[in-house]
Amino acid sequence: MPDWTTAGPAVGAAFLASLVEVVEAFTIVLVVATLRGWKPAVAGTGAALALLALIVVTLGPLLALVPLAALQLVIGVLLLLFGIGWLRKAALRTAGVIPLHDEDAIFARETAQLGAEVARSKTAQDWIAGIAAFKAVLLEGLEVVFIVIAVGAGKGLLGPASLGALAACALVLVAGALAHRPLTRVPENTLKFGVGVMLSAFGVFWTGEGLGIDWPGGDLALLVFAALFLLTGLGAARMVRPVPTEVTS
Amino acid sequence: MSILKDVLADLASMFVADARLTGAILALVAVAAMLVWAGLPSLVGGAVLLVGCLAVLVLAVRREAARRARR
Repeated sequence: MPDWTTAGPAVGAAFLASLVEVVEAFTIVLVVATLRGWKPAVAGTGAALALLALIVVTLGPLLALVPLAALQLVIGVLLLLFGIGWLRKAALRTAGVIPLHDEDAIFARETAQLGAEVARSKTAQDWIAGIAAFKAVLLEGLEVVFIVIAVGAGKGLLGPASLGALAACALVLVAGALAHRPLTRVPENTLKFGVGVMLSAFGVFWTGEGLGIDWPGGDLALLVFAALFLLTGLGAARMVRPVPTEVTS
Repeated sequence: MSILKDVLADLASMFVADARLTGAILALVAVAAMLVWAGLPSLVGGAVLLVGCLAVLVLAVRREAARRARR
């Protein structure tokens, strides 16, 4: 049985991060299905998932060969780069400095772009559509694979973290099948904020462990780090929120 | 080739979305490592890493907001 003080945040981070990524991939797959039918959409998605599985099966066992401290340090640093990057963007979106991610707008833009691309080609329209689905699932899937490895590999939690990611995939597929439209009601920025907080907290924790730092409280330090990143992220968003200008009549 | 290029560009952008943020985090990890490996109590390095990351986050958000406000 995993220790849920560590496994809980790992599964939660993998689930929430995967939810965001799978929603983004689902929008593109839906564009392909709307334009050219489900055949190229499913073919492109299946090919990407097969390639992702191959990458995981090939590279996964190599992780066991890397000394734990080195693995924690490398993954910790990558998590810091990835997590703080996400948190920075989520804080800017929360503050209204950059616009929120809008799946409806992305669906419309991608439909127009892919529609124009398909129309230019006389012969390989399904192929072009399938490639679009393939690329979207592969790109978002690679991020999911990285996150699962990053939050799971440091303490042998790859299994629970993978389950978190798979649960997110299943949830999006079921919701998408029922809705048949982009999943706009997913509070994407709130999720990204939460995931950025958790990935940054894991980043500090693993980097420290990799450097040989004994965190007081052991795994519980993760929760303290997460609380600090949450408060700092919210504080930063508040700090840069544009002041509404008064309209004088 | 275009797919491979897109995948590599996407992977790079995962970690280097903002070059200054990336540089600051890497510098911070290097400083924390030096403090730990210099024989100081490991918590000193840990505190520098944690507080540094929080400060880097605030500075990165403020810098980007200021940059966009100037446009």
